[in-house]
Amino acid sequence: MHISEGFILGLSTGVVCLAYCGPVLIPYLLSEANTLLNNTYTVLLFLAGRLLAYGIVGLLSGLAGAKLMQPSSGQTVFFGILYIILALLLIAYGFYRFREICLGHIRIAGKVYLQRWPYLVPVAGGFATGINLCPPFLLAITGAMQSGAILKSLVFFLLFFLGTSLYFIPLPFIGFFRRQQVLRIVGKFAAIIAGIIYLYKGILFLVSI
Amino acid sequence: MKKNTVYATEGSVWKSLLLTFPMVLLILLFISGGKPDLTSTDKAFAFLFTFVFLVFLFFQILYTGKTDKYRAIGFIALSLFFALTFIVNLVRARGSMTFSEETLLACEIPFCHIVTTMIIIPAVLTNSIIFPGSIIGGFASIASMLVIVVGVSLALGRGFCSWGCFYGGWDDATSRIMRKPKIKKINPVFRWMSFAVLLIIAITAAISLNPVYCDWLCPFKTVTEFEKVTSFTVLMKTVVFLSLFIGLVIILPVLTGKRIQCATFCPMGALLSFTNKINAFDVRISKDQCSNCEKCTNTCPTLSLNTPDLEAGKPSITCMKCGKCIDACSKSAIHYHIRGTPPDRNFSWARNLFLFPSFMLLVIFLGGPMQTGIMLLFKLIKTGSLL
Repeated sequence: MHISEGFILGLSTGVVCLAYCGPVLIPYLLSEANTLLNNTYTVLLFLAGRLLAYGIVGLLSGLAGAKLMQPSSGQTVFFGILYIILALLLIAYGFYRFREICLGHIRIAGKVYLQRWPYLVPVAGGFATGINLCPPFLLAITGAMQSGAILKSLVFFLLFFLGTSLYFIPLPFIGFFRRQQVLRIVGKFAAIIAGIIYLYKGILFLVSI
Repeated sequence: MKKNTVYATEGSVWKSLLLTFPMVLLILLFISGGKPDLTSTDKAFAFLFTFVFLVFLFFQILYTGKTDKYRAIGFIALSLFFALTFIVNLVRARGSMTFSEETLLACEIPFCHIVTTMIIIPAVLTNSIIFPGSIIGGFASIASMLVIVVGVSLALGRGFCSWGCFYGGWDDATSRIMRKPKIKKINPVFRWMSFAVLLIIAITAAISLNPVYCDWLCPFKTVTEFEKVTSFTVLMKTVVFLSLFIGLVIILPVLTGKRIQCATFCPMGALLSFTNKINAFDVRISKDQCSNCEKCTNTCPTLSLNTPDLEAGKPSITCMKCGKCIDACSKSAIHYHIRGTPPDRNFSWARNLFLFPSFMLLVIFLGGPMQTGIMLLFKLIKTGSLL
């Protein structure tokens, strides 16, 4: 997988990320911020949390990839199988009910700290959802590992982050977002379809040996 | 219980005739191109039959007050005649329904409206059209089809899917085969699946600069044209689109009584749903008259009506304005409506204003293929061959 595919993967699975992060971020935006500027600030903080999580995972994936990914015939089999497993996970994820996290709980638990550092809530929320091992994220890990170098892995995750983050641009305009449920359903279906595509890619990997 | 008369033309021959008259002139204009070709008996018969057929349908829609019943006849005829004439033309021009690499390179693939969903992002990003068709001129050029799509979507929104789409008649027909469907309950969330298909194919097409839906998924390649099997990949593509045609256009519509392909899989339908928000016509449900019998929700072929929609007083944005729910409602609680006007009045006015552009669309698309199709059938009877 070429590192630029991180952006492509992010674009194609970003709606799943939004569907997952939406239930975390949107209730917070609705309850907390009230202007476009405030909403934008909150979304940026949330994305910063995600970027931090992606940076850590990108680094770890690069380290693992550099160790594991010496050119060999086994590499194709490894990624073929991994793609199939992850694609099946993506499909299962599409069919499975989303687990919703409410940032309000975090706020109550750490009330004193949050009064002092209010930006912690969206950053922590972004970090928590960022390291969530959802299937698109696992696919990104596979792609980053496949790059076989730490720097490439970091760039891969940065591009993946940028691809997924494009879907967050409308979020500051949260007042217009009335159909979150529909968005999540579309996200689930998109995950299933993306899973089928990756399943086919995985099978092709194995067939091409 | 007898349904009350709702529309001014319903049951009145004179009023129906009076309103049919402008449409008669339009039908004459559109099916003849301003100058009817009556040079042979076959051509004259095909012209007259098409004319009478279309006038009859429009008159019946007005006189009986049943929209979907007569719309469906014309709509199904559109799909059948379109496929017949298209395939015969292809076989005459190329010798088969398949196309080759040479056809692709020569940019001779006819452009269909569904491709619109895949060319927008690449056109913006790369200033190029990622489809091997003719931009202007020739049969089904990209420019002409885009003009039609934009114009129709502004005028009718997703009404295009029930009045002008030359593929939709296939699953509209198969969904009517069984009077009592075997599968009665379908989760309404499936109506959002076409949006996921749209999302994935729009992004994938933008990334690969390839119209992936046409390449891999379009079930209607079965009744139009498809790539010649020359490799394992093309074989896979053939298996995929054939399976989708059998599953989504034949088996599932027969079993469910719903237009499954149109409602759950067509990316063009999803795109047009957004235009439902910006055009003049919509469908409204009068909550005062509604008895919550849910006949309409069971009847809706596109899963666009459910209990929450009834409470909201309008179907979901996926509504194709086919009129089936309107025909089914024994309380006359569902109507065509013009945005910005009071929802519980002027039913006749709104319906007539909707019927003229939508039926005209059907006339424009059906007129040519029907005349050609009739002549082909004559040829088949006389010579035993369509070619």
